[in-house]
Amino acid sequence: MDRRRFLTGAALGGMTIVGASALGALDADAAFASTRATLDAGVVESVFAEGRIGAIKGSTLHVAGSWGETHVVQLTTATSVWKLRETSAAAIEVGDGMYGRGVRMPDGTIAADAVWVNIVNLECTLRGVGADRLELTHDRHRVVGRLVPGTTVATYNGGALTADLSRLTPGQAVRVLGAWRPADDTVDVARLTVAA
Amino acid sequence: VVGIVLGLALGWSGLAKLRRPDGESALVELLPDARRVRVVLRGLGAVEVLVGLAAAAGVGAPAAALGVGFLGYLGWAQRKAPDRSCGCTATTSAPVTWRSYGRAGLVVAGGLAAGAGPAPAAVGLVVLALVDERWVLPARRLALRLGGHPHALPPQDVPVAATVELLETSLAWHQAAGIVRSGLLESWDADGWRFLRYAGDRVTVVFALDATATTDTTASPVVRLAVVPETAMV
Repeated sequence: MDRRRFLTGAALGGMTIVGASALGALDADAAFASTRATLDAGVVESVFAEGRIGAIKGSTLHVAGSWGETHVVQLTTATSVWKLRETSAAAIEVGDGMYGRGVRMPDGTIAADAVWVNIVNLECTLRGVGADRLELTHDRHRVVGRLVPGTTVATYNGGALTADLSRLTPGQAVRVLGAWRPADDTVDVARLTVAA
Repeated sequence: VVGIVLGLALGWSGLAKLRRPDGESALVELLPDARRVRVVLRGLGAVEVLVGLAAAAGVGAPAAALGVGFLGYLGWAQRKAPDRSCGCTATTSAPVTWRSYGRAGLVVAGGLAAGAGPAPAAVGLVVLALVDERWVLPARRLALRLGGHPHALPPQDVPVAATVELLETSLAWHQAAGIVRSGLLESWDADGWRFLRYAGDRVTVVFALDATATTDTTASPVVRLAVVPETAMV
C-alpha cells in the first residue's frame, strides 16, 4: 500500500481544484513531455474491440469478434479492468465476453486502455425483489439479477447512486447494468436505474 | 355460485377475444394468415360467451369440455410456437406459461363443479389470483408492504460509484478528460477523502473528493488532483 500512501500525499499535497476553478493551471507539461502533441488527438485515435475471449496468453487476450473478426488485445498495468467492479486482469476468464477501448499498435494488436468484461445493459421490468436476487423480465425473457452487497447500487429519478434498494418495487421499469455470469446465465447487478 | 363466477370469467375472456383478437398468436402456425386467425379467435370468443352463459345457468359440462380443449391447445401451441402468445385473453402477448395451464385447469374444475356453493367459488377466485399474470405484481407489492421490504435498512455509506458519478459531473473531470485514458483502476478512503486512481499516458492520475459527497449533496464538488509520471512511482 506504499503506492496508495504516496498517491494520497500527492493528491492532498498537490493542487486543489475547487468547483469551476482552474485546472488550466495544471502544469501537465512534465507529465506529457514524451507523448503526443495534442491531447485531443489521443481521444480520436482510440479503437474499440468486442467479442468472446477464446484464449488468454500472459497479458494478451485473443478475442473472437461478433462479426467474425479477431482481435489481439494487450493488457498493461495501466489498463483498467471492469468485471462488475474495478478489478485486475486476473479476474478475466476464457469464455468471457469483453468490450475494450485502446490504441492500435503497429503490429495490429490493441493496447487496451480499458476493458469491460461481460458487461450487459438491459431494459427490464422488475417482477420480484428478494434478499439476494431480483426477478426481472427483458423482452419477455426471465432474467435473474444477483444483488452483490457493497457493489449493487441504484439511482431513483435521476438522484445520486445509492446502496439503498428499499425503493425497489415489483412492476417498476429498471435499466440493469451488470456483469453476465456465463456459468449460470444470471447477471450480477452493478447498477439499477429506476425511473419512478 | 361457481357456475356464475365461471360464466363471468368466460364471458370476459370471450368478449376480449371478440373485440381484440391477437392475430399474431400461435394459431398462425395452423392457419394461413393473421386475418383468419382473428376470425377463428372471434368465433371462439362467441363460443366462450355462450358456454359462460350456460355455466352461469348451472350447466357446467360444456365449460369443462372447453377447458379440456384449451389444455390440449396450449400443449400444442407451446410445442409448435413457444415464442407466440396463446391468444387466450387477448390482453397479454406473453407466450404460454404454467399460468396459462392453470387458467385452463380452473375452467375444467369450474365446469365440473358448476353447481357448487360460495366456498369453492371463493377458493377458485383465490387460485385464479395466484395464477393470473395481472395479479402477480400487485400481490407482490402488497406482500412487500405487509411483510416488510428485504432491503428496508440500507447501508449509509456513499458507494464508490456515486463518487465516480460526482467526479464525472465536475469541471475538473472534463478538463482532465484528455489526460485520463483508462477507466477507474482503484479507489480507497483516507482522512475523509475518497481517492480514485486512473491511468493516463505514462502517468497516474489521482482524484480526491469528499468521501461523503454525492450529486445529491453538491453541484460543485471540491476535487483535488495529482498527475504523477510513472517514473516517479514508488
